[in-house]
Amino acid sequence: MDIFADLAMGLSVAISPINIVFLLFGAMVGMIVGVIPGFGPSAGLAILLPVTFGMDPIGAIMMLAAIYYGAMYGGTITSILLNTPGESATVASTFDGFPLAKNGRAGPALVMQAAASFVGGTVGVILITILAPLFSQVSRSFGPPEYFLLATMGMLTLIVMIGANWKLGLISALVGFALGTVGVDLETGQGRYTFGSAELIGGIYFIPIAIGLFGLGELYYAFYKGLHKTGTGAIVQYDKERRFWPETRDWISTRMTMVRGSILGFFVGVIPGAGATIASLMSYSLERSVSKTPEKFGKGEMAGLVAPETANNAASSGAMIPLLTLGIPGSASTAVLLAAFLLWGLRPGPLFMEQNPELAWGLIASMYLGNMALLAISIFAIPLFVKIIKIPYRILAPTVVVICTLGCFSVNASFIETYLMFAAGIVGFFMRLYGFSPAALVLALVLGPLAEEALRQTLTISRGSFGIFLERPASVWIIIVTFVLLAIVPLLQRMGKGATAGEAERAGS
Amino acid sequence: MRIPFLVALMAAAVFYSYIAFVDLNFMTRTGRLGPGFFPRIIGIAMIALCIWAILDELRSQKSSDDYLGYWRDAIVIIGMALVYAVLLRVLGGYLATIAFLMMALTVLNRGRLKQNLLLALLIPTGVYALFDRVLNANMPPGLIALPI
Repeated sequence: MDIFADLAMGLSVAISPINIVFLLFGAMVGMIVGVIPGFGPSAGLAILLPVTFGMDPIGAIMMLAAIYYGAMYGGTITSILLNTPGESATVASTFDGFPLAKNGRAGPALVMQAAASFVGGTVGVILITILAPLFSQVSRSFGPPEYFLLATMGMLTLIVMIGANWKLGLISALVGFALGTVGVDLETGQGRYTFGSAELIGGIYFIPIAIGLFGLGELYYAFYKGLHKTGTGAIVQYDKERRFWPETRDWISTRMTMVRGSILGFFVGVIPGAGATIASLMSYSLERSVSKTPEKFGKGEMAGLVAPETANNAASSGAMIPLLTLGIPGSASTAVLLAAFLLWGLRPGPLFMEQNPELAWGLIASMYLGNMALLAISIFAIPLFVKIIKIPYRILAPTVVVICTLGCFSVNASFIETYLMFAAGIVGFFMRLYGFSPAALVLALVLGPLAEEALRQTLTISRGSFGIFLERPASVWIIIVTFVLLAIVPLLQRMGKGATAGEAERAGS
Repeated sequence: MRIPFLVALMAAAVFYSYIAFVDLNFMTRTGRLGPGFFPRIIGIAMIALCIWAILDELRSQKSSDDYLGYWRDAIVIIGMALVYAVLLRVLGGYLATIAFLMMALTVLNRGRLKQNLLLALLIPTGVYALFDRVLNANMPPGLIALPI
């Protein structure tokens, strides 16, 4: 019953006219970010974070969260109409989404993806509502050793996910850790790597690095890949009058797909480092393996579109659990969200829901409303998004550079930080080019100081003995879970890759 | 091409480790872990991994099938962004943005002078209205001051 009372309180906070406006704005912007190829939720969040500075924290967090999960809705529109995923989590949606559109079922595919995203997102929020308080309770017994292990678990899972290029992923993470050590050491007050600069005393600011790596770096890489040369001539037209709505059989045949995709997606999303991309690929793979007609997958099977869509939206909700209850981001997007929380002096963690019930429950309640808004937007605003898809990248790109630059400057009115962003953009481009992981760098930059502080506190408590990690039951459990994840994640990844390879083969034949 | 990038990273890691070992203490006077503890681990791990990755690269040198992308275009957009960074300080946010957009659109969106001019004026005005007026955020002041 407590949950219902808390949720009702959250709703009363979320349903204020100004918060609803921010929520709708965030949902709309999130969808637009999702539609733009090469830009995912991390880029959208990093670029738009400065916009929220003048706002009330509740409205701002609601808006940023809406951008985060809204991007999942938008990314699929290009997957269906253009065979180009807006971001990596919607790659699996191209497998059957585009064939459906080519078979003259673009309208039903667009509506079904919106419905699937809504179901995935809403089931995800329901599970957050139930599980977040439980996670908070469990994590209240956590001390510095557990926090250090959790941060390590998040980083290791992300690096294992990178696969063959894991060494480059680990180097990226170490660069992030190294950048995280710049500034005054909080325990001794000694400056580290500041080189006498007053600007560096407070450390390397997270936002310029995130905007540079995800905004500019991705944009430069898109130029390198020739995105500015491609036209939008291949966009599939859809009939707005006839054959727009799905048929009854579409709903009936995919009802269990939605349930499976939502649950699988959510729990994959909870795993730090796993995320929406692997959830969508796994869900697709699972659906094909349980289907009575697996041969139809890749040729325009509705379940093949619904499965990844429910999963990626549920996963983005699932990723909020470690963020809210442990203060540990599991992905680059949630790392940017954590940075947003910290900017308002809010520290997510075990006591967050107890100490900031209005904000925590307001955010959760807003996610119910946000998913409803996104369902309506993604069905009725399709013509608008088609128009956005048609804006040539050569016009969009300079505009993105301007927004990144002015947004970055507006945070602290610092030219140094703006130049740092430009430098991070160039580094981000080379990282993408040579197979490094900007996401691992950003995550390490956020987790690094947390992990260092936790490790030093741990070793102070234990008087220098690492045996403390094996003496505390919670630590032992986290170590076991980490080993299990490190064994399972490559298998999950292989499942996902299997799905991708299978579809590529089909497309080839 | 990955090797020069790895070598540059390794050079940075060596410099980082040098400072960690020379300037930062491993332990504090009270016997706790000092400010150099974490940087030393990071630095050494980075150097070791860079060497490993470079050796891997040298062993699997089969770059003939490397994808040759639009290098020139990527360099052009990076160059223009850097010019924009310089212009920001000199002209301030509004004028620098107009100049950057005019330059970028002239290069990227050739042959559409009217459209480019319109966009170069409308986008900065819109972005400025949002940041400066609606959100009351800081915008870059230039050495040439404008009354906006």
